[in-house]
Amino acid sequence: MIQSLFDGILVGAILSLGAIGLTLMMHILRFANFSHAELLSVGAYVALVFDGAFATLAPFLTNKWGALSATTALALATLLAIAIAGVTAVIADRLVFKRLREAAGPLTMVFASFGVALIMRNVIGLIFGLQSIHYSNEIAFAVVVSTDPFLLVKPDQLFVLALALVAMAALHVVMARTPLGFALRAISENPSLAQVNGINLSRMVTITWLIGGGMAALAGVSYAVTNHLSPVMGRDLVLSLFAAAILGGLGSVPGAVIGGFVVGLASSLALLIVPAGYKPAIPFLLIIIALYVRPNGLFGEAR
Amino acid sequence: MIGLISYLTFFLTIALILAIAVLGLNLHWGYTGIFNGGVAAFFGAGAYGLIILGGPDRAGEFGGFGWPFPLAMAGGVVLAGLLALIVGLATTKLRHDYLAIATFGVAVAVESVARNAEFLTGGAKGVRGFERPLEAAVGNPFVYSLLFLALVVACLAAVYWALERTVRSPFGRLLRAIREDEVAARALGKSPARIRLQSFILGAMIMGLAGGLYATFYAFVSPQDILPILTFQIWAMLIVGGAGNNKGAILGTLIVWGGWVASGWALTRYAPVDWQLYTGTIQYILIGLVIVLTLLARPKGLLPEELTVSTAVAPNEAQSNLSETKHQTQQ
Amino acid sequence: MKNFKLLALPAFAAAGLLLAGEPAQAQDCTQKVGAVLPTSVDWGRPIAETAQFAVDIFNEAGGVKGCKVDMILRDTQVDPKVGVDAAKALVDLEKVPLLLGAVSSGVSMPILTSVTVPSNVMQMSCCSSSTAFTAVAEEGKTNGLWFRTFATTRNQAAVAAMLIRDKGYKSVAIFYKNDDWGQDIGKLVAADIEKLGVTVTANVAINDGQPSYRAEVTEALKSQPEALYVALYPTEGSAVLREWVSLGGTQKMVVANSLKSDEFRDAVGLQYLGEAVGHDSAPPRTDSAASFVDLYKAKFNAEPNGPGLPNVFDAVMISLLAMEAAPELTGDQIAAQVGKITDPSGMTFFPNADGLKAAKDALAEGKALSYTGATGAVKFDANGDVSAPAVAWTFTDAGTAESQYFTIEDVDGFIGSLGN
Repeated sequence: MIQSLFDGILVGAILSLGAIGLTLMMHILRFANFSHAELLSVGAYVALVFDGAFATLAPFLTNKWGALSATTALALATLLAIAIAGVTAVIADRLVFKRLREAAGPLTMVFASFGVALIMRNVIGLIFGLQSIHYSNEIAFAVVVSTDPFLLVKPDQLFVLALALVAMAALHVVMARTPLGFALRAISENPSLAQVNGINLSRMVTITWLIGGGMAALAGVSYAVTNHLSPVMGRDLVLSLFAAAILGGLGSVPGAVIGGFVVGLASSLALLIVPAGYKPAIPFLLIIIALYVRPNGLFGEAR
Repeated sequence: MIGLISYLTFFLTIALILAIAVLGLNLHWGYTGIFNGGVAAFFGAGAYGLIILGGPDRAGEFGGFGWPFPLAMAGGVVLAGLLALIVGLATTKLRHDYLAIATFGVAVAVESVARNAEFLTGGAKGVRGFERPLEAAVGNPFVYSLLFLALVVACLAAVYWALERTVRSPFGRLLRAIREDEVAARALGKSPARIRLQSFILGAMIMGLAGGLYATFYAFVSPQDILPILTFQIWAMLIVGGAGNNKGAILGTLIVWGGWVASGWALTRYAPVDWQLYTGTIQYILIGLVIVLTLLARPKGLLPEELTVSTAVAPNEAQSNLSETKHQTQQ
Repeated sequence: MKNFKLLALPAFAAAGLLLAGEPAQAQDCTQKVGAVLPTSVDWGRPIAETAQFAVDIFNEAGGVKGCKVDMILRDTQVDPKVGVDAAKALVDLEKVPLLLGAVSSGVSMPILTSVTVPSNVMQMSCCSSSTAFTAVAEEGKTNGLWFRTFATTRNQAAVAAMLIRDKGYKSVAIFYKNDDWGQDIGKLVAADIEKLGVTVTANVAINDGQPSYRAEVTEALKSQPEALYVALYPTEGSAVLREWVSLGGTQKMVVANSLKSDEFRDAVGLQYLGEAVGHDSAPPRTDSAASFVDLYKAKFNAEPNGPGLPNVFDAVMISLLAMEAAPELTGDQIAAQVGKITDPSGMTFFPNADGLKAAKDALAEGKALSYTGATGAVKFDANGDVSAPAVAWTFTDAGTAESQYFTIEDVDGFIGSLGN
């Protein structure tokens, strides 16, 4: 039971990290972007390429950080991945979403995002193959934290949890305290009024995509470190991410983090009640119940 | 030549079955603004309902009632309607993305039950053994496939006619009013929640009909038939064709499903030999491109919504029309 | 990790060779056959590659009735609608008399009932394992057109149980893939070993494409089994076992043939698989025992490790030989010849270019053949099912190594001893 609780939180931390970017994008840009999850894959694979390049060019960068699987090479690769995934997101916007935003409704954009997701996912599959791979095939062992109650925790997962909390705090501060945050919130509340007040809409949209893509890359690398890389990793994660963002309430960064924990906990505790085969359904049933009580999510506002 | 006709018959049968489901979704999204992310659930309810009620006895598993085909089909449709009633009541307060994820969750749950509840649904191996109606009597498989296509066309025509009539009636006007501005509709003394629920159930029953025809055609259903990809396909057909336009919904189905299978055919025929193994992946990229490019070229779909003028009627006549429609939907 | 290029290169190179190295005999005519396989899925693409490889060898030996075999490959996307449509298009538009595939039973079944049987086309699947096909055949609804080279789940499960018995494990937790094959084998293994007095501590379904398998692994871990039985595919198998090992789970395990894969071995790590033993249907006990492995290695520069590869190789070879033997290329006539190709009293041969030429000569003289290919001396029963001898194998640096051999009699005897 204690183990399941911890597992739920730690698995949920990855979802939290991914959902933070998603909730901001969905709130500010006002459409459900299904290609967001593919940006996780883009980030993870970009990091794979640069991690390999750094390890070849400068082998001394491959020493591990204490008990973690992370290395300096991977950390540097992740920074590049964040930048490239951000730029990829902006490119997707320029090519597709920007044009549709002007010409059609949000649902058209949702479907275009499905198309974009299919393209991104399968291009990755063509380049890197369909099989799942790892940054390092070494297995990172869990550490026994306590023997009574028996509790195992993986250092990497604790690191991801910390990362999610730091990212949440940082974005929360940006959104709540800085002029950039005010501008983004103004756009999300009322784009026309915001423009009247001298906010450059297209610049803000670009910044949102950069933030969203960067957060996705960070989440993607975190997932790949604790699990694996695969062209379908985005597809596997997308529903859990949406569930977390929507459960938390769109636009709420802390909500997304808590939403991630709840989805993680639900998957983890589900097996105490039902056979493992039913596991995929449990988080969604929980969401239906939660939304029945709070139709705009835990921390969301009606719009 | 006969081969081409045989294939076209087959293609049209599947495409038009899917078109029925797209019409159901058009009632939800196109006319009422309900963002239903769980099409596969209602399709699956119809398919499994039909095959369990109408199929033969399966050792140690539920079912084997062997109902006659029309009854079993009606059973499947009613099952889809019942599911919609429950889901609709549980999600009355939800809109937009929230409704989509909740209904999507229902589809995941239905698939999960189909996959795991072996005593009820046969589990992952699916349910088989259903006898297609009159197949033995007809004998010739080719003639039978033509007759089956005729049945599907008849069902599609009936659904199309009923929907066209509904959306041009005052009830249809009410649906659009709710879609456009729910608060205003309520201010006019209408009950949006109730109307939405009626539309939701009706659309789900149409999807259930499509599912029933689908299961009849294959005489087999398994959880693989109701994966989320089905919901995506149905939505893509509606969006490409044009939401809020029943002709567009059918056109969109033919184009999207045609493109979906034709891309596979074209790739095997024209891709260089060393790319043959990658055609599956390339096909998905093409499908993605087609969706994106179509939306960029025609953001409102190929046939956008027509401005409908509901037939002018006297107030008391409108009232009776409305209650008549309500009466029909509640059956 | 970064070996994706290594994997892709030989495939391209091989395809290039194929274009360059047309068979010496001039073949002006081509004979089309259809294949519907999930080429857009990670484990499906190697199956398609192996099928094409078998066709190439057959063409090297002169093709079917002097015509070059052209395998038209369509992706099923593991979507029954797409797979059935592809099959229908191949049958109606390309007029293929033979259809290879599909992999998933959920796709193969509607193809069988709504395409191949009504159109009188022979269907041979490498990998559909569902017991439902046996039932359809018993009802006489396949018209004898259906075959599969994948040993039935019943046999596979029995071998797994024998291995667990021989190792002396007293309690076992089971991970199974939550599809028709996995549900079947998970249930059968559990039932068999319980009859042997082994406790099944947990029987955990693993769904495809879950973001994390932590909860499933914890579930099995806390039941404290002495050993593990794993019936998963490489992707999920790697994810589950990496999690399992990292949480300190036992390394005593028996695994299904689906995990006989380099991808899986490398992802989990050989050092944790030392006590793992797998089961599989057996390669032939002849001088050419390693032939398929050798052929495959020469072509792909890798071991033929992955679900279904030997099975699809045999499926292609047997079908094409049956076409060679058939008086006319219609489904029923081809299907009728399968028995002649797999007659235990016939001439034994291995299907490399030379073996195939000898086999075709023998066919021309009206002799029967005993096909002895990648999965052993294949013999179909009346329902199109095969039973094959079995081997136990272990992971090694080079791939896998055989550690034990079970004859068909061993397996059947064991199943009989369970009293069912």
